[in-house]
Amino acid sequence: MNLAEGVQIVSLGVLAVMMLGSALGVVLLKNIVYSAFLLGGVFISIAGLYLLLNADFVAFAQVLIYVGAVNVLILFAIMLVNKREDFKVVPRMWIRQVATALVCFGIFALLGTMVVTTPWAISTETAVGDSSIVRIGLHFFSDFLLPFELASILLLMALVGAIVLARREFLPETELEAGETESLTLPERPRDLITTGRGDSTIQ
Amino acid sequence: MLKFLKQVGDYTKEAFQAGKYIGQGLSVTFDHMRRRPITVQYPYEKLILSERFRGRIHFEFDKCISCEVCVRVCPINLPVVDWEFNKESKKKQLKHYSIDFGVCIFCGNCVEYCPTNCLSMTEEYELSTYDRHELNYDSVALGRLPYKVTNDPMVTPLREFAYLPKGVTDPHDLPAGSRRSGLRPEEILDKEPKA
Amino acid sequence: MNPGIDLQGTFIESVRGFGIPPGAARALWLPLPMLIMLVAATVSVLVLVWLERKISAAAQQRIGPEFIGPLGILAPLADGLKLVFKEDTTPSKADGLLFTLGPAIVVIPVFLSYLIVPFGQNLIVADVGMGVFLWIALSSIVPIGLLMSGYASNNKYSLLGGLRAAAQSISYELPLALSVLAIVMMSNSLSTVDIVQQQSGYGILGWNIWRQPVGFLIFWIAALAECERIPFDLPEAEEELVAGYQTEYSGMKFALFYLGSYVNLTLSALLFAVLYLGGWEFPVSVSTIANLIGVSENTPWLQVSLATLGITMTLLKAYFLVFIAILMRWTVPRVRIDQLLDLGWKFLLPVSLVNLLLTAGLKLAFPIAFGG
Repeated sequence: MNLAEGVQIVSLGVLAVMMLGSALGVVLLKNIVYSAFLLGGVFISIAGLYLLLNADFVAFAQVLIYVGAVNVLILFAIMLVNKREDFKVVPRMWIRQVATALVCFGIFALLGTMVVTTPWAISTETAVGDSSIVRIGLHFFSDFLLPFELASILLLMALVGAIVLARREFLPETELEAGETESLTLPERPRDLITTGRGDSTIQ
Repeated sequence: MLKFLKQVGDYTKEAFQAGKYIGQGLSVTFDHMRRRPITVQYPYEKLILSERFRGRIHFEFDKCISCEVCVRVCPINLPVVDWEFNKESKKKQLKHYSIDFGVCIFCGNCVEYCPTNCLSMTEEYELSTYDRHELNYDSVALGRLPYKVTNDPMVTPLREFAYLPKGVTDPHDLPAGSRRSGLRPEEILDKEPKA
Repeated sequence: MNPGIDLQGTFIESVRGFGIPPGAARALWLPLPMLIMLVAATVSVLVLVWLERKISAAAQQRIGPEFIGPLGILAPLADGLKLVFKEDTTPSKADGLLFTLGPAIVVIPVFLSYLIVPFGQNLIVADVGMGVFLWIALSSIVPIGLLMSGYASNNKYSLLGGLRAAAQSISYELPLALSVLAIVMMSNSLSTVDIVQQQSGYGILGWNIWRQPVGFLIFWIAALAECERIPFDLPEAEEELVAGYQTEYSGMKFALFYLGSYVNLTLSALLFAVLYLGGWEFPVSVSTIANLIGVSENTPWLQVSLATLGITMTLLKAYFLVFIAILMRWTVPRVRIDQLLDLGWKFLLPVSLVNLLLTAGLKLAFPIAFGG
């Protein structure tokens, strides 16, 4: 075993421990902010695993999208809400916990047996390395064109949906009825869009 | 469609204009870089103050007639004039006079209105103390004259911008006898036809 | 193209001369460039801080640091020493672990990005095939650290500063990546070395700045925003947020933020030089001159002087950009948060998309000039 292989095995071990540890932390920790930060750790370790598999582009894309965008957005949402609220003590909580644990272990066992029993065909081809990005591009525009375009349409829909949700131009101005509590109504009032810089044209 | 194109055109024009303004701003900042630093290395260099500088007030005890005009013209009635009527000479006799420079705003009204010119402005501005009550100057402290900047061996006196020769902006290493542009006050007086 | 000097090969050869196996020789070589880069980046921060103070002083008709060393050149060192010896406080009810982890997460990706900064054909820590993409990916980790420190400080200003930093970072990452993408499209490679190669041969005329007149502006604006430099320094706007996410930090943890922001600025300037100003290329094509005089490109003295010239040119270009950034600091007022997001999403993003489209079109129309 030469130096490179040793380094690879050691980093595989470190990454695996990091990933499993932080994944467990995401699920088990009470503090939701910790969970969100640890999720970033999980993503980073997965990116490290991709790197070990010679898939640079996937690794960096993982970092860029999952850590840089998804995880930041999750954190953003948590911090904007930032509500520290103690959960009510639910009677016989342990039943739920045990049931969840059972389901989780069931899925884990299922996946485990699937992984073990499948006869994996290990490719003997050497990894493409730096030219992987060219290959990915070729695949995107030939045999994976449809899924690629579908994914882009999905994202576009999400984008449009977000914009529709974000710019609520019309809010029905309804009076509070007798039984209605204030928390059910939207706290915002419709506002005129403030135009900056173009105000003088309307004044004239 | 045409309206949209016009909007796009206007937007582009505005963007270019913004860029132009930022460029102008940058050129101003860049131009400042080649200008002389106005820094005066304070304890080692000091400015020679202008004639009309309003510094700590000087008081001449013997000239004072205890008329209290200074108190009346002072915005906050600051000067404390302690006098006693001398029955023999039938004049007010001054016992104490004090001004608290922690409160004084150096407006110079007292100096302006003093009928006997016993109040005057000095060039002293280094009035820092550890206790603000030390700034309450009595008649003795008010009578002291500050040390001139030009006579201080520790200090390089620097002329203010208006007192530099024409075209010179750096007050360091001026040739001896160089004079400022324009006439000096006494020359203006000399030119006046004698009444 | 000339291959440049192969320091790694020479080093391994000479170490093997002492009877050390090649694997171990390689292992000995590996940390060297990283260490050099780490030290160089830190020293560049000292230079940068000094420059910032001197240029700021000049722009305001002051003198700036003068007595700490000749021309005050040791002032940043004194700053650093002060920060080292300062008490490292943690506010009460702060989250100790995250509070410590935050600055580290901010600094590490920035230093890691120096992997891909080339100073010459072989003068690069690692010629990663994904070069620029690596940088963009790494710089997207930074806001997590900012959010972490903002949250852990248990201070509303810190939290708001962290949130603003993250929002700003996300919004300006897109135009940045898109303007880089236009460059990548022209040079057919993500590797920084290839990008410089593609600009070489015609001296100053071959630089990407002429082919990407819009792209370089977008890149520079977005890079300034990513570094939180002055027109975009909202996360640490003193008048509103005290010091943003840095409010509760002192001592070495604050020093890490300080270091990180300046290293990031240098990094952005270096990458701007690489992407748009021809990297280590001299304004006049050196290899043409060498051929003209009749000196072979493989002559040792030419190689060494070319390498030196390359490093000098890269640094000169980078510091020119740093100078512009500092000048910008004293010229432009800080934008409001809504103006910032407007600029990012409604101006830079569409413009960079159009720029990308134009580049693609031009590449198809004129493959010679735009790297077919």
